[in-house]
Amino acid sequence: MTLAEELQKAVPSVLTREWGQLNRGAPWQGGTPELLVSPASTEEVAQVLTWAGQEKVGVLPLGSGRHLAPVGPGSFMALDTSLLSSVDEYEPADLTITAGTGTSFDTVDAALRGNGQWAPFDPPGVGERSIGGFVSEASHSFLWTGYGALRNHVLGATLVTGDGRVLRLGGKVVKNVAGYDLLRPVVGGRGRLGVLTSVCLRAFPLPAHERVLVLKDSAITSLIEPALLVGTAPVLPASIVVVGQADMLGGSSALVLRVHGAESSVDADQSTIEKHLGMSFDIVACAEADGLLNEIQDRGGLDSRCVEVSVLPSRLPQVVAAAEQVGVARAAIDSYAGRLRMGSNDMSADAVTALRLAVEQLGGSLRVARWDGALRPEDTSRRDAELDLTKRLESIFDPSGVLWPTRP
Amino acid sequence: MTQTLSPNVADRLRAIVGHDLVITDPDRLFAYESDGLTAYRVVPRAVVLPETTEQVSQVLRTLHDEGIEVVPRGAGTGLSGGALPTPDGVIVGTARMSRILSIDAPNRLAHVQPGVINARLTEATAPYGLYYAPDPASQSTCTLGGNVAENSGGPHCLKYGVTSRYVTGLTVVMADGEVVRLGGAGLEASCGLDLVGLFVGSEGCFGIATEIEVRLLPQVESIRTLLGIFHTMEAAGHAVTDIIGSGLMPAAVEIVDNATIVAVEASVFSAGYPVDAGAALVVEFDGTEAGLDDDADRAEQCCLSAGATKVIRAKSDEERIALWKGRKKAFGAMGRIAPDLLVQDATVPRTRLPEVLARITEIGREYDLKIANVFHAGDGNLHPNILFDRQNSEELERVEKASREIMTLCVSVGGTITGEHGVGVDKRAYMPLVYNEVEMDMLRSARRVFDPDGRLNPGKVVQ
Repeated sequence: MTLAEELQKAVPSVLTREWGQLNRGAPWQGGTPELLVSPASTEEVAQVLTWAGQEKVGVLPLGSGRHLAPVGPGSFMALDTSLLSSVDEYEPADLTITAGTGTSFDTVDAALRGNGQWAPFDPPGVGERSIGGFVSEASHSFLWTGYGALRNHVLGATLVTGDGRVLRLGGKVVKNVAGYDLLRPVVGGRGRLGVLTSVCLRAFPLPAHERVLVLKDSAITSLIEPALLVGTAPVLPASIVVVGQADMLGGSSALVLRVHGAESSVDADQSTIEKHLGMSFDIVACAEADGLLNEIQDRGGLDSRCVEVSVLPSRLPQVVAAAEQVGVARAAIDSYAGRLRMGSNDMSADAVTALRLAVEQLGGSLRVARWDGALRPEDTSRRDAELDLTKRLESIFDPSGVLWPTRP
Repeated sequence: MTQTLSPNVADRLRAIVGHDLVITDPDRLFAYESDGLTAYRVVPRAVVLPETTEQVSQVLRTLHDEGIEVVPRGAGTGLSGGALPTPDGVIVGTARMSRILSIDAPNRLAHVQPGVINARLTEATAPYGLYYAPDPASQSTCTLGGNVAENSGGPHCLKYGVTSRYVTGLTVVMADGEVVRLGGAGLEASCGLDLVGLFVGSEGCFGIATEIEVRLLPQVESIRTLLGIFHTMEAAGHAVTDIIGSGLMPAAVEIVDNATIVAVEASVFSAGYPVDAGAALVVEFDGTEAGLDDDADRAEQCCLSAGATKVIRAKSDEERIALWKGRKKAFGAMGRIAPDLLVQDATVPRTRLPEVLARITEIGREYDLKIANVFHAGDGNLHPNILFDRQNSEELERVEKASREIMTLCVSVGGTITGEHGVGVDKRAYMPLVYNEVEMDMLRSARRVFDPDGRLNPGKVVQ
């Protein structure tokens, strides 16, 4: 009996397909699943995972499938959440929205924007991401300076554990300390603790006005110090990013600020920042701003090889110097958060390994977000005690160890 | 019945922290019989006051080897009984761990010991143009360690978020004395689960945080504070909905009801609120000077449209402090009305506030109890304060029944049983209102991940 037949026997209602029938519109990095299963409800996800847990069948949770970390070789099935696609509850006055995890970020964003609200997060390819993948990855957003990390704004979720238990985590309110916060390790947990089936996000009022400011220079390295200086100004932009060789700026590197607020305050903020730096910025025309912001958002994150670095902001100049061999000239750097993303299609594993060692010596960390080759460099790993706690935590969510069976 | 600590164990603890920092004298132990929730009282076997991570580690290892329960304690300002001793347990207090270890201004970080008082950190970072955002009402006395344990909030977390948003790394001593480092600024890209986020709010059940790394924010340029006076709570509630719905992002939105206003105005904390007002609404904006007057104008218009009889805008820091006084001193003022106060804490979706408040008033009437409401209206965090006399056992019974009804009500509209005070012992019985048995089992399992023997703060959160 094939895997599909065994699953159909255990969960007759669930849709199963050949892997090749999934159209993701992006190259797949890594091992190929034996089967694609597409549950249509939390209950079906629970039935599938109960079966998988009992039969010890590996399960790879899948959102859009376009932004997964590389998948290792091995035998497993992919659990596709695309049928869990609906905005279930949206109360604009409460600034909360609940959606099935197969819903695209664009769909959620459109619902919010219809009411003058938004979800201020901009990881690479955010629009096409599923909400489940978006939350499971919790990739860094360049709007972190103004709005904070995604993990602070995921209010609640429904999670199915590796053995099919359904857990409601968090809730629909901003302040909630009822019991241990099991939601926190799930956000950014990359599907290791279970399969998310619905998520409640905090929404924000759309800023009345956005101004995009640029300070151009021929080299990315010259822009780090001004960027760090902006972070000490009396007013903070929503985003402080240094981008290398931006196509939308004719190949120039630039320090790009997003300033949000009422029109009068945006004027005042620009003036305050310019006075603080002793430099003048150019205002990007509205017609060009979206293109530039999209380029920054996706920079490196859609390439076939991409690494992300975090470090204390004050150590960014040293990291940038160490990253020359990894294509830092075309990086995007959030100087306020100390985050740096670089991508290319021909990055070498040796160069990434050398950068990781340099970053670790500076007290930072490196993650290989995408890698299409066999010789994948290592991520920075956590300390032994943390790894031990992580394993113990994973074991209570996934006692059979079926989730993400081939993760690096 | 509290057991005494054997002289042998007491001597071993004294050898670690020093003779004077192990308290076994029954008279002195009475000071530790409760935290801010005085309805429950248990005298501990002993209190140990270590000063370093290494001492905490040795103390916990000693107690672990002896099979003795440990109750961690910060300043004891918690309102849910999270630091309530157990009869068999020893309190490990962090009061002596009160050093700010470093302030890293370029990276906007501070490393502190857990006994540092919340407000002191903001004072210490002010010369660098920085501050620590979470501001619980008890910030002049509560400690960062307690804030981490409870994931504390405060009036300004509407805009700035609660403690978990600011904790970037922890040094934790586990139940068996092992020292573990969790997270840390700069390590965000490493592929690990968010154990720091899980630890924050674990109410002393997972370990004792002995060093805390927190993120600081740049000081705001300017502030605008308004006080709106309303005939009814409902009208004040509508003003809040209009303010948030209009796209404004206030730093704080707070409401006090008539019972609270009357209590405050009759006390030494009188703030000049009219005693015939149904509700007073404090709205505060902060940020760039240039945009603040526009925001304040729009909020004032929302208040007037919702029926405010008067809106006062602070013109100086002194006036701002005066406008806040009626809100900030509310709990203290209630001591005049009744000898005991149960400060409840629940959160509901903001849009459900008017109906929930109306029903809480009815519950007070049905149980013949005085309930005064003070709440963080912007994020739907209610503090119905039940006034009573704990010497009156029949009244205490009514308080417990009314509390359960209020919690059931809040959960039924999509809310939860605690927004910022924690579960402790006070809310433990209400946990099944929020969680089913599968979910409760998962909470117990999570606790065992950190403390397999269940000796850290037993009886709190879940059993």
